[in-house]
Amino acid sequence: MELFIQAAKPDHSIRWREYRPTKKTPWNLRRVVHLHRRAGFAATWNELQRDLQEGPQSSIDRMLNGTTREKTYFDDFERMSASIAKAAVRSNQPDRLKAWWLFRMLFTTDPLTEKLTLLWHNHFATSNQKLEDLSLMRQQNDLFRSLARAPFGKLLTAVLHDPAMLLWLDAPSNHKGRPNENLARELMELFTLGIGNYNETDVKAAARALTGWTVIDDRFSFRAAQHDAGQKTILNQRRAWKGDELVELLLDQRATAERLAGRLCQLFLGEGVAQSEDIKALAEGLQAHDLDIEWGTETILRSELFFADQNIRQSVAGPAELIIGATRALELVDPPPQTMILADWMRKLGQDLFYPPNVGGWNGGRDWLRTSALISRTNFAAGLARGQFSATQTPPDWSGFAAKQRRSSTPEDFVAFLAELLFGGEPAPGWIEGIAKRISSNSHSRDEVLQQAVANILASPEAQLN
Amino acid sequence: MLTRRQFLDTSFQSTSILSLASSVPCFLTRSLQAAEKKKKNGRILVVIELNGGNDGLNTVVPFKDDNYQKYRKTLGISESKVLKLNPEIGLHPAMKDAARLVEDGRLAIVQGVGYPNPNRSHFESRGIWQSAQLNPKAHGGYGWLGRALDQNSNRVQTFADSICLGDVDPPQALRGRQATPSTIKNLAELKFDLQSIDAEVDSDKNTTDDLLQFVRRRTVDARATVERLNKVKNTGSTKTRYPNNGLPNRLKEIARLIRAELEPRVYYTVQAGYDTHINQEFDHYRRLSEFSGALSAFLNDLRDSQLDDRVLVLVFSEFGRRVAENDSQGTDHGTAGPVFLASPSVEAGLHGPAPDLSDLQDGDLKMTTDFRSVYATILSKWLDINPQSCLQGHFPLIDFLPS
Repeated sequence: MELFIQAAKPDHSIRWREYRPTKKTPWNLRRVVHLHRRAGFAATWNELQRDLQEGPQSSIDRMLNGTTREKTYFDDFERMSASIAKAAVRSNQPDRLKAWWLFRMLFTTDPLTEKLTLLWHNHFATSNQKLEDLSLMRQQNDLFRSLARAPFGKLLTAVLHDPAMLLWLDAPSNHKGRPNENLARELMELFTLGIGNYNETDVKAAARALTGWTVIDDRFSFRAAQHDAGQKTILNQRRAWKGDELVELLLDQRATAERLAGRLCQLFLGEGVAQSEDIKALAEGLQAHDLDIEWGTETILRSELFFADQNIRQSVAGPAELIIGATRALELVDPPPQTMILADWMRKLGQDLFYPPNVGGWNGGRDWLRTSALISRTNFAAGLARGQFSATQTPPDWSGFAAKQRRSSTPEDFVAFLAELLFGGEPAPGWIEGIAKRISSNSHSRDEVLQQAVANILASPEAQLN
Repeated sequence: MLTRRQFLDTSFQSTSILSLASSVPCFLTRSLQAAEKKKKNGRILVVIELNGGNDGLNTVVPFKDDNYQKYRKTLGISESKVLKLNPEIGLHPAMKDAARLVEDGRLAIVQGVGYPNPNRSHFESRGIWQSAQLNPKAHGGYGWLGRALDQNSNRVQTFADSICLGDVDPPQALRGRQATPSTIKNLAELKFDLQSIDAEVDSDKNTTDDLLQFVRRRTVDARATVERLNKVKNTGSTKTRYPNNGLPNRLKEIARLIRAELEPRVYYTVQAGYDTHINQEFDHYRRLSEFSGALSAFLNDLRDSQLDDRVLVLVFSEFGRRVAENDSQGTDHGTAGPVFLASPSVEAGLHGPAPDLSDLQDGDLKMTTDFRSVYATILSKWLDINPQSCLQGHFPLIDFLPS
């Protein structure tokens, strides 16, 4: 009796309990598709079938340890990636650096890390618009990747010593006596505490603490003569704050843990799924684990909340999720897609890599669905279905694709197959029938009908959700 | 294969959209029902946001003030360079076109506009200006124009109540409970590649999924927008020469949409780049010159089309810069700044008292006019919308528009 009463108490932290399949929440194709689309960039039919068989634990393990993709298209992916990046930097063409990152998203065996890298690019949004230095942009991107799952203190410290960031936020002009507040303000507002957890005098004092931090020969450097060693009051504590101590102070604040928890929830959970109690509980756990991003990520991906019905297909697919997801799920990788072209589609869809719109990054969510971006999504769907983005620009063999998975290519069967592959099943009763009817009512060849099926499904409102 | 014409016919003239009534914003059903009842006499507001915090002190320059020259040792603009509006105040030398607009009675400037307890965060301050709430998060994320258009919704018959043109996220200012903004990057991208898309939006009236409903509405809206714009595309030519830059190009496209009798009463665009922490002089010159040239070309273009008496342009920035320059020939985030209003209908010249450079607060200007007074004036005298319920308070009107 007493146990029952305890269980009925509203304890929100139980929502981070580990997911175990139940009758109401079975391990089915819908949840496998969900895991891959949220934690990665969608999966192929084989990968979905494999994970359906293996069960949640090992599927999540694969996602976390970077073995979720079954095929590596390149013997030495990292070496290939490095040489593409190097050539991009040398060419001084931003589009080639964007293409390099898309290459990684498409072909890495560890899509989760690329997804987190994208999260940090948004959190520490730095634009090449001001920097005009692809070498530094690439260096920062590699930094995000290598510390994507580190304790947040390590990542933050590294970012604050990163030349691209320091130049972006004018650290070199932050002098003793004449502070430039740009870095101090964004450090508090965007990187750690968030609005409402500090005031203007804190920003001014923090700027003084950061005086002397600069960039010399593309590297972080501390110029003691420029540092204001005087007493400053930051968050009600008075002492001769130095930059490193300021960072420690900010990392210790509960508000920082909550902002980090909120960011991770924003990435992995859909709209309105995490309640403030959930974020607080996660923040508490993060504080107990040294703000370890890996711990936070794993906690979310293994949780009941992540696999809850209310979280499935409840977020707007971002440009990368849409473009990489469609290309991968439909296995349009042989001949390989032209990643420069895909990068340009990402721009049209509203996410120009290495060029975030402002220091706050991309808003994401419903804001992805701007009018012109939606039109671009439709046009992208049409182009992809026609095979326009591959090097050879030949129409894909859609009936061969169906046959490979032992599916028939009658319009209705093909649409049903795509619905399973992309959504984990029919999004709504009658949906498959509706699309199949519409595409076959115009007298086309079989190939054209299948092509239209792909285009129509990818352009549908349902396909804009992840 | 379905032609574009057929596609549009089936998608927009058939009952398929009307049958979506429960999930489609009412503007669309309204516009279908009342397609022929175009309202040609409505007044239009065009908002230009100078993003990043424009240095107001170096835009409308108090060149005679000793304090000004003292605080602006390297960035200060001298009397010989300034474009004088009166014996004490003048415009930045890059703003020749704007100065001409003042001369021929088409540009009003309200000085020292801000709000109490200024917030120096770009995002918070933008939020305050856009929501017209001192706590921008307190009222559901709606904006002042969105709320105003909500109030006015029975009078607007269009596919969208407002249009934001440019490569930016939809501004909060336009967000309303019913009022729907369209965000358009540029007119050239508004074309469907229809070779293989037979894209009718499925209606599923039973769904309770809020997010999916939202996507459906946006999809229908986007497709309707393309359809309308394709109709007006060729009516948009102009003889007016615009400088070939970002803002001028966007204003040129807005003029085209206005000329095409598109119904939205509010257009919005952004000019970025005013966050001048470092080496401000050249950057600021460039921005102001682009802005002033664009504004002038826009007004002339509309005059040539005899539409300019229907259009009022409002120009604001989220804050001004600090009075004293910093050590890197730049300026940090500050407080009050000037607001511009352009139209042949304005009372041209300076309005409102200039802030006092000898009476600063923490090195920042004290505002002399609450920005909500500017909004209240526009709402009541231009858009004919009750400002009090929209702004949730009473703010004295300013005399930049005749009663």
